[in-house]
Amino acid sequence: MTTAIIDYGMGNVRSLSNALEYVGNDVVLTKDPGALADADRLLLPGVGAFGDAMAAINASGLRPLLDRLALEERKPVLGVCLGMQLFAKRSLEHGVHEGLGWLDAEVLPMRPTPPSKVPHVGWNAITPMPAHDWLFDGLPAGESDFYFVHSFHMVCHDSVDCAATCEHGGTFTAAVARGNLVATQFHPEKSQDNGLQLLTNWLNREF
Amino acid sequence: MLKKRIIPKFLIRGGRLVKLRRFDDDQREAGNPVSTAKVYDSYGIDELIFLDIDATREGRVVASSVIERVAEEVFIPFTVGGGVRSLDEIEALLKAGADKVSINSAAAADPGFVTRAASRFGDQCIVASIDYRQLSDGSRPVFAAGGQTAVGQDAIDWALRLQDAHAGEILLSSIDRDGMMTGYDLDLIAALSDRLNVPLIASSGAGSLADCKAALDAGASAITISSMFIFTDHSPIKVRTYLNTNGVPVRSQKGSRS
Repeated sequence: MTTAIIDYGMGNVRSLSNALEYVGNDVVLTKDPGALADADRLLLPGVGAFGDAMAAINASGLRPLLDRLALEERKPVLGVCLGMQLFAKRSLEHGVHEGLGWLDAEVLPMRPTPPSKVPHVGWNAITPMPAHDWLFDGLPAGESDFYFVHSFHMVCHDSVDCAATCEHGGTFTAAVARGNLVATQFHPEKSQDNGLQLLTNWLNREF
Repeated sequence: MLKKRIIPKFLIRGGRLVKLRRFDDDQREAGNPVSTAKVYDSYGIDELIFLDIDATREGRVVASSVIERVAEEVFIPFTVGGGVRSLDEIEALLKAGADKVSINSAAAADPGFVTRAASRFGDQCIVASIDYRQLSDGSRPVFAAGGQTAVGQDAIDWALRLQDAHAGEILLSSIDRDGMMTGYDLDLIAALSDRLNVPLIASSGAGSLADCKAALDAGASAITISSMFIFTDHSPIKVRTYLNTNGVPVRSQKGSRS
C-alpha cells in the first residue's frame, strides 16, 4: 500500500514520511496529479499559517483534484496538525481564510483559562470518542499522551465528527473522523509509540 | 492535562556533543549527536534541543546533515539552533526534520526577525533563546553571540518583547549557572512564567532531582537538563519517576520501541 504525502510546499514532511515507513508503509512525497490519484491513501501535512497553506494549495492547481479524491472517490485522507485544520470551512487565524471545506467546522484561536499557555506545546492526554475508537486501538491502558504544538483549534459544527478531545484550560477537538476523512491536531509522527500505533490503526482501517 | 516537559539540551561543536561551564571554552566531550538522541528517544524523553555553539561566531548556520540524521532516528520533537539569521535557513532546518528553530543573536540584532519568522512558519515553530548574566546588583542583562555581546536589555523586558514579537516559546538560559549543577534561577523563572502567556523553557542549573521539581513548581512549562544527564547517574526515567511521585504532571509511560 502506498500513501502519498501531498507536497504543496508547506510543512515538515520528513518525520511523517519516516514514521509511515517505520510502520511498514510505502510513502511518496508528491505534487504529481497522477501519483496522487494512484496512491491508496493521501496524507495532508501542514506547519505554519492557515492562510499561507491555503494559498499554496490553491496556487498548486491541485485543489480540484484533491476535492474529487477526498469527496467523490472517497480516498482515505489523513490530515495532521494544520493539515487537520485545513479540512475546515474557514479559519480565523490572522484574518478570515477559506479552507478546503471538507468538514463543517471552523478554526478559532485557543483562549485557555490561565495559567495555561498558548501555543499549546507538549504532551497531553486525549479522550477518544466511542464512535471513533478504532483510531485509538491498542494504546496502553490509562492516559494516552500525544504531542501537540498549535495555537488554533478546530470546532466541529457536527459533533459526531469529533474523534477525540483534549483539555488545555478548556476542552478542544484533538482529532476528527468522518468516513474516509481522518485528522489529528496532534503529531502522531512525533508521539513515539502512541503515534506509531495510531498510524498503524489508520493504515489498517478499511473505509 | 498538559504535561511538564523534560528536555535534554545538547551543544554541538564540530559535529560532536560537548559540555561547557558558564559558556567558556573549558569543554568536555559528550558523545555523538545521533546515537545520543537515539538513547534519549528510547528513554521516552519529551523533546530534544540541539544548539550549535560556534555557528554564530563562524558566520554559518547549524549543519542540516546532522539534523537529517537525527530526524531519521527519533520520533520525538526537536528544536535546533545556532547561527540562524534568515527565513531560508529556518526553512532548510524545518525541511531537514527540525520541528522548531531557536533564534538568539538574530533576534538581538532585530526582534522583527522573530515576527517575520513567526508569520511565515507559525509562532509555535519559533523558540526565542535568551542568555543572561546575574549581576550582584540584582540585574540580569541579556547577552548574544554565545554570551559575548551585550544586548543592552534586561532578561524580563527582553522576554516580554520577544513574546510580543510572536515567539512561540522562550528558552531561558543563565550563563552563570550553565554547567554548574547548582540549581535553576528560580526567582526569574517564577517572575517570568507569571508574566508570560507563552511557555517558558527553563535552562541552566539542574544538578539534582529536587532542582528539577523546583523549576517546574516555579512555573516553567519545561526544563532542559544537560550536565546532570551526562555526568550523574540521574536518567530521564529517574527524573520522571521522581517528578511523578512528587505531584508534578509528567508523561508516565515509557516511549521506547522494542
